[in-house]
Amino acid sequence: MVRPQTAHVRRPEILAAATEVIRERGINATRIADVADRVGASAPSILYYFESKEELLREALIFAEERFYDELEGDLTRIPSARDRLVWLVESCLAAGDYDAVLWIELWPHALRSEEVAETREALDARWRGAIASIIREGQRRGEFVGGDPEELTLLVSSLLDGLMIQVAMQDPEVTPPRAREMSLSVLERELGCALTGVGVT
Amino acid sequence: MSPAVARPSERSAREQILDAAVERIATDGIDGVRIARIAMDARVSTSLVHYHFESREALLAEALEHSFELAGDVRIGEGEGEARSHTERLAAMVDQCLPYPGDLERDWLLWVELWLRAARRPELRKTAARLYERMHEWFAGAIVAGVADGELADCDVDALTDRVLAMLDGFGIRTLVRDPAVPLEWAREEVWRALASELGLDPKPPLR
Repeated sequence: MVRPQTAHVRRPEILAAATEVIRERGINATRIADVADRVGASAPSILYYFESKEELLREALIFAEERFYDELEGDLTRIPSARDRLVWLVESCLAAGDYDAVLWIELWPHALRSEEVAETREALDARWRGAIASIIREGQRRGEFVGGDPEELTLLVSSLLDGLMIQVAMQDPEVTPPRAREMSLSVLERELGCALTGVGVT
Repeated sequence: MSPAVARPSERSAREQILDAAVERIATDGIDGVRIARIAMDARVSTSLVHYHFESREALLAEALEHSFELAGDVRIGEGEGEARSHTERLAAMVDQCLPYPGDLERDWLLWVELWLRAARRPELRKTAARLYERMHEWFAGAIVAGVADGELADCDVDALTDRVLAMLDGFGIRTLVRDPAVPLEWAREEVWRALASELGLDPKPPLR
């Protein structure tokens, strides 16, 4: 078998292209050929890197989420207080027209139908919860936040944020990004006993 | 055939298609579902499905409306009729919004398909906004009635309602995908706690 020409196309480029296509069309309607077209490669050269369409899609979702976290974690290290970090985290996932929200939502129905996607979803969700929990713990340690089980609080926060993020992604006229931000911060404010709604981190 | 005879049979074909669509979309997803399969389940021709529903989006929108209309009859009828207090009624409503096995779980599967489609494309956003508005009115109405009777504490009803709806989605989806951290009972208790703290109720939900 002739080895496909792959030197001109790299793995990250393929994954970036795949996330774009999935965002536009959804996983089921995404074809290897669409991804190949976008990076100017052939379908076999894509399959050289990824054994199957399923694998490409899963890797693309992981890639997009990793990119989101790397950026978020980079931002967070530059913010000294736990309070401001939490506000930043809330803002980063409720932004209008968020690129990654659609991919995150895409994970759910597919997690229901594929065990591998379900595992991927769990791993990504664990990372997301870890990011929230570490801010809460840090804030409690420094006395910025009051007590409460960090794991339980994290579950509450991540569920509330997901619920709001869904409506923001669907451009619900009532649940706009500023209102979603306000709603999540006021819940956190009460749970953590710390003023958050008046804080602007920009 | 006279139009008077054709009309009811046409309506029932449409309903058969919608019944089949609800089941198929819940199983296969809106992107994965095949129109031919829905036609087969409904025992009609593929062209009749296309005749009634010009696009997948139209079919999903109508299937959702259809499914929630059926659910709505149950919800607003019997389930709540048995409630002896506003508190019990609210607890029953929370239960109706969580993915309990059976019809509610199936409704949830459609709900997730709606998120997916409406987030990606504009066609279904109006349907989504309308369904959320209906949910909002349903919950807010129950709270306002309880406040008026002095059973529930006064609060910012719209803010509380939106928060509770978001929590139902966020916890419900984790329960649906069998997240070990969020069993159904946990989701129920957490949503109830949010309601109870604003409405001056016991943080433990009433027994089912």
